[in-house]
Amino acid sequence: MKTHIFAFTLSIALCVTARAGLKWDQTSLELHPTATDKQAIGHFKYQNTGDKPVKFKSVRTSCGCTAAQTQKEEVPAGEKGEITATFNIGERTGTQVKTVTVETDDPANVTTVLTLKAVIPQQLEITPTFVFWGKGEEPKPKTIVVRAAKDFPVKHLKVTSSSPDFQAKVEETGNGQFKIDVQPQETNKQTASTLTIQPEDSQKIFYATARITNAPAPQ
Amino acid sequence: MNDTSNIKHQTSNILHFLWRIVDVIVGGIFIYAGTIKVLDPVQFANDIDNYKILPWTIGVGLAFYLPWLEMFCGLALILRRLYLGGLSILTALVAVFLVATIAAKVRGLDITCGCFGHASQNWNFPTHLALDLAIFGVLLALSFRVVSGNRLQDAV
Amino acid sequence: MVKSSLVRQAFVLAALAFVPGVVQAIYFGNKVSWRSPVPASEMVTVTQARAWGENAIWVDARPDNEFARDHVPGALPLNEDRWSELLPQFLAAWSPEKKVVVYCSSEGCNASREVAHRLRKEAQLANVFVLEGGWEEWLKEK
Repeated sequence: MKTHIFAFTLSIALCVTARAGLKWDQTSLELHPTATDKQAIGHFKYQNTGDKPVKFKSVRTSCGCTAAQTQKEEVPAGEKGEITATFNIGERTGTQVKTVTVETDDPANVTTVLTLKAVIPQQLEITPTFVFWGKGEEPKPKTIVVRAAKDFPVKHLKVTSSSPDFQAKVEETGNGQFKIDVQPQETNKQTASTLTIQPEDSQKIFYATARITNAPAPQ
Repeated sequence: MNDTSNIKHQTSNILHFLWRIVDVIVGGIFIYAGTIKVLDPVQFANDIDNYKILPWTIGVGLAFYLPWLEMFCGLALILRRLYLGGLSILTALVAVFLVATIAAKVRGLDITCGCFGHASQNWNFPTHLALDLAIFGVLLALSFRVVSGNRLQDAV
Repeated sequence: MVKSSLVRQAFVLAALAFVPGVVQAIYFGNKVSWRSPVPASEMVTVTQARAWGENAIWVDARPDNEFARDHVPGALPLNEDRWSELLPQFLAAWSPEKKVVVYCSSEGCNASREVAHRLRKEAQLANVFVLEGGWEEWLKEK
C-alpha cells in the first residue's frame, strides 16, 4: 500500500515536470569570470518537447546591467534553442545574482525565471575605502587595511596619493595583509586625495579616498 | 532446529545492525542540515521567502525554529530516544518540503532550496528533487519498519 | 498505544526545539527585520526623506542613461558600472551629518540596496538609507 502511494506521488511529480512544452537544460547557471573580464555570459539552453510551437512573449532582466537575447521569437515543436544572458560586470564585486524572467504562450509554463550567478573574484579587500577628518580635527594618521584574496597572493603594494596634502605609508602585516597609514598635513582647509593602490605585478588598480570635510570633527 | 533458529537470530541481528546504520546516517544528515541553517538563519529566512508561500514574518519564525527541530529529531534517530516522534516529524517535514518545491517549480520560480544552506545553493532542480525523494523514501522505509512491529520494543 | 506514544514524543521534541529557537531569535534580534526582508531601519519613505530637506544627499543608483533622462533634483549618480569614477564626487558632497538616500527604479530593483551596502561596508558611512519604492514612488509623490 505504502509502495503504491510512493509510486503515485513520484509519478505525479514526474508528470508535472513532463507536461511543460519548453524544457530547460538548466534554469540556474554559475559563472566564474576572471578579474579582468568585462562581461559574464550565460547560455540557457531549451528544447520544445511539446507538440505545439511556443512563442516568447517577453524576456525581462532584473537590472539594466544584464541583457538577454533569444535566438528566435517562436520555437517549433521539437526544436532547440538558447537564451543568452550577458551580465556587464562593471565594477561589481563578490557574488552577483541576476535573473531573466521569460514569458511564453505555453500554458503549462507561462513564466520561467532564469538565474545567472556570477562569482566575481576580488583581488583585494580594502577597508575602509574612505577616511576623513573633520575641520580642525587633530591630523592623526588613520589606517586602511588591505587584505589580498587567497587566490591572489600579493608580495608588495604600491600606494600613491594624488595630493601632496596627504601622506600614505604602507606596511606589510603578514598573511597577505597590509596596512596603509594615511595622514593629512593639516585639517584647516577642505581638501581631498585619491589614493591609488596597486599590487606589484598586477595591471589592476584600486582606489581609496582621503578627505578633509567641511563639517567640524565628529565627537 | 537449533541451527535454523541460530541462523534466523544472526540474520535478525545483522538486519538490526544495518537498520541502525541507516538511522545514524539519516539522523546525521538532518543534524548537518540543521547545523548549517542554525549558523545563518537570515539566509534561511530568505530561502523560505523565495518559495513565496508564507508571509515574511512566519518565514523568519520558522527560520529560527526549524533547524533546531531538525537537529533534535536527527539526534532522536541516532540515540533511539523519542525515536517515533523524531521519525514522524522528519517524514512530515520532508513531505511538506517536497510539495513546496514541486509547487515552486510549477509556478516557474527558480530557487535554491536552502535545505543544506550554502552547500546546496548550486544544485539544480532535478538534483534537489532526487535527493529529497531518496531521503523521503528512506524515512518511509524506517516508518514502515517500526509500524510493522519489527523491533518496536527497541524504540523508546 | 503507538499513536499516543508518537504524539507525546513529537510534542516533546517540538517543545525542546522551541527553547534554543527563541534564544537564537532574541540574539539575532537586531540583525533581521521581522516585518520585511530589508531591515526597517535602513529603509525610508519619500515623505520621510523629503522632510530631511538639505540634510539629505540623494544618490541615484540607476544606469547612466536613466540618470541622464531624469533624476531627483540635486541627486548624484553612483552606480556599480562606474563605481570608482563616480564615488569621489559623491564623497566630495558628503559630510558626516548628512543622511544618504539611495534609490533605483522601483521597489523591485536591487541596485539601490547594493550601492547602499557598499557605502556602509566599504566606505563605512553611517546614515545610509534605501528609498522605499524608488524613482517610481518619487514620481508618484511629486
